[in-house]
Amino acid sequence: MRWWHRWLRTPAELRELGVVGINMRNARYILPNNQRKLYRLVDDKLQTKALAEAEGLSVPKTYAVVRSPRDISRIDATLAEYGSFVVKPSRGSGGKGVLVIDGVEHGHYIKPSGAVVTGDDLRSHLSNVLAGMFSLGGTRDVALVEYRVRPAKVLTELSYQGAPDIRVVMLHGYPVMAMLRAATIESDGRANLHQGALGIGLDLATGKTIRAVHHGSPLTIHPDSKVPLIGVQIPDWEEILHIASICQVMTGLGYLGVDLMIDETLGPIMIEVNARPGLAIQMANGVGLMRRLEPVVDQHLKNPHASPEEKVEFSKRSFRTVAMAS
Amino acid sequence: MSTRWKLWIAVLCLVGLGLGTAYHKSVNLGVPFWRGEQVRDWEIEAKVSFLATGKRVKARLALPARKAGVGGVMEAGSLGYHYSTQRDADEATALWTAEERSGEQSLYFRIRIPEGSASGGEPIADKFDPARESYLTGSVAEAAKTIIGRITSVSKDPESLFAAVYEQVFSGDGTQELALLSRHYSKEHRDQGRIRMGIDLLEMAGIPSRVAYGVKLEPELGPQSPVPLVEYYDGAYWKVRDPMAPGAVLDAGSWFVWHRGGGPLLDLTGGESSKVVFTVVSERVPLSSLTNLEHSPLLISTILGLPQAERAVFRYLVLIPLGAFVVVLLRNIVGIQTLGTFMPVLIALALLEIPPVRAIVMFSVIVAFGLWFRFLLSRLNLLVVPRVAACVVIVTLLMMLMSVVAHKMGMVGGGQITLFPMIILAWTIERMSLIWEEEGKRSAIVQVCGSLVVALIAYWFMSIGQVQYWAFYFPELLLVLLAAILLIGRYTGYRLSELFRFRSFGHA
Repeated sequence: MRWWHRWLRTPAELRELGVVGINMRNARYILPNNQRKLYRLVDDKLQTKALAEAEGLSVPKTYAVVRSPRDISRIDATLAEYGSFVVKPSRGSGGKGVLVIDGVEHGHYIKPSGAVVTGDDLRSHLSNVLAGMFSLGGTRDVALVEYRVRPAKVLTELSYQGAPDIRVVMLHGYPVMAMLRAATIESDGRANLHQGALGIGLDLATGKTIRAVHHGSPLTIHPDSKVPLIGVQIPDWEEILHIASICQVMTGLGYLGVDLMIDETLGPIMIEVNARPGLAIQMANGVGLMRRLEPVVDQHLKNPHASPEEKVEFSKRSFRTVAMAS
Repeated sequence: MSTRWKLWIAVLCLVGLGLGTAYHKSVNLGVPFWRGEQVRDWEIEAKVSFLATGKRVKARLALPARKAGVGGVMEAGSLGYHYSTQRDADEATALWTAEERSGEQSLYFRIRIPEGSASGGEPIADKFDPARESYLTGSVAEAAKTIIGRITSVSKDPESLFAAVYEQVFSGDGTQELALLSRHYSKEHRDQGRIRMGIDLLEMAGIPSRVAYGVKLEPELGPQSPVPLVEYYDGAYWKVRDPMAPGAVLDAGSWFVWHRGGGPLLDLTGGESSKVVFTVVSERVPLSSLTNLEHSPLLISTILGLPQAERAVFRYLVLIPLGAFVVVLLRNIVGIQTLGTFMPVLIALALLEIPPVRAIVMFSVIVAFGLWFRFLLSRLNLLVVPRVAACVVIVTLLMMLMSVVAHKMGMVGGGQITLFPMIILAWTIERMSLIWEEEGKRSAIVQVCGSLVVALIAYWFMSIGQVQYWAFYFPELLLVLLAAILLIGRYTGYRLSELFRFRSFGHA
């Protein structure tokens, strides 16, 4: 450890560690592997869900699609039979505009935090969604109302409120890295890392948690609930990797991130596919992405026609990681 | 061929083309490459525009007289017109004629004079010429006589009489006679009323005087109307003075007298709604070195081939790519987050006109108030576009309010605030409030400050004299800039901010 490590790492050191920067991710992995015309498949959740359903993947059940002001005015009646649901913009990104409703009381909607959302609040949120306030480029959008996932108990224990989700990054159909994102008090129920959520690295071979970071610095217990974070087994790991590899095949994207949640009863559910997955996953795993991406590129060149199962096996064999000492 | 090679070939071509053209222009055509200490030239362009009525057109524009000691090069431009100049002892005119013209017409006349040379308002010796008879009648004439009587009782010589008359005329807090007179004149002569009134008063006091037309040597003014000045005869010489500053001799550094002698500036037949507009540009390139360029096809690669009024626009336009370059550099190499990709460039353009400290205060006040108002609006649950439009209205009102307050507090240049791009500000406020709600105030403030820092750096870069000089006289160097941008576009190394972001990497 040198004196400057408190503030920064030199480019040579980062290269040594195999860290991928934004410029490199864009120029080397996203631009050459992800065709522009495929973006619409994943930028529009309605289309992604249709694709996934055709492949037989489980996705959150759609309760309603709100397309027009007329749909908004009838929303109370449409949702009358559901006690909990999630509203999200079809073309939103980074969790923007997602509204989670946990229960209905006296005609008011209740958020998981206990905050009350009136019918008017809900309608104005929907009209903001339709006006494109949360969508990429501010274009007009539709709102999805869908099943609210009840996360498996193993996962809720790792998170302070909010539902933790799993992100698997894939290149050419090979899983390269995975992490779990868990909310904290600071992140206010959201799973966004730069808002203070925890990033927990996962071993691709076993699906066990290996390392956790909060704002970039490692830790071993949850800052709020003091639950140990390392060595926890994620259920249905094989199924999760399988879903991720199907998502790669169905979208045709070379480099992508697949977001999943694990439901108490339904098991792993595919939430969305991201064509520009972020780089914080490297910090959560303590491994530079380059260490994973380069072997995959070689393997893909050597063996271009490998089946999805063979690819997953390759990743599990090659990218085994041991939990950090706690 | 791999993308890598294509990129390098493109970069080499662009750099070669850009530097090659610049080299040719500088070595063979003699345009100095470095902004040196050459004498600046004032280039003054008169643009005559009018609507031709479909008949024979004849336009006669009075020109600066050689006799007044004006040197320099003159040239005229206009398509399809027969052009000639006529000179006699003290009058020079440009004459354009054409058969059957219709629609909008523009005629140009351009002169170059070295900076610091004669203003054209120097005294001209002339033989005595008695003052005209006054044509005023009735109560107006009586009022004029009273005023003259009062002034001549104090000052006798032409010099002080002139000063006294125009001080009276422009003082505003005059007597009843003055009020009566100025009402009469503003009815007769409209905006030139006070000047005409002074001239007539001087004539009545026995001092021959007439209108002259001048140009203010301030390039910032952009296209300006001719400024009416007053020429008077002191018994031996005709002298030109600015009626707004009647005591002072015209400063050659800030005035150029285009026309004197009392005749009309423009005499036009076959057209209507005519007007004369002057544009002044300060040129750094000495005249002699430009003669080579003018016969070269490369003239098109300089903005010098354009009429001045259009050229003035490019002075800022060529700076925009420089700002964009700074943004690319700071976002992709340094990694500063900004609100909107090129918003900082527009702020930097505004900064070029407003002193930076004041601009930042104005920007902060507008954004802070705008945000506050935006939070009030958010309670009304408006749709997006109406909400931004409401923000535009508020931003506009805020700008007006700030200008008025600044003016009342005695600060000069409060009106400069209008140079901020209003719509961009409104969008900035909207996006900032969204980020505020979604990611917290820290993120919002970081991004606004990031934008301001980028804007300041872009401003600093764009305000370097040498950089401006190159952009304006060697626009082909923008190709080199383009090559640099292409290279940055393929830069896959770390951003500076990432060195910080990943600092805790590697220790378990």
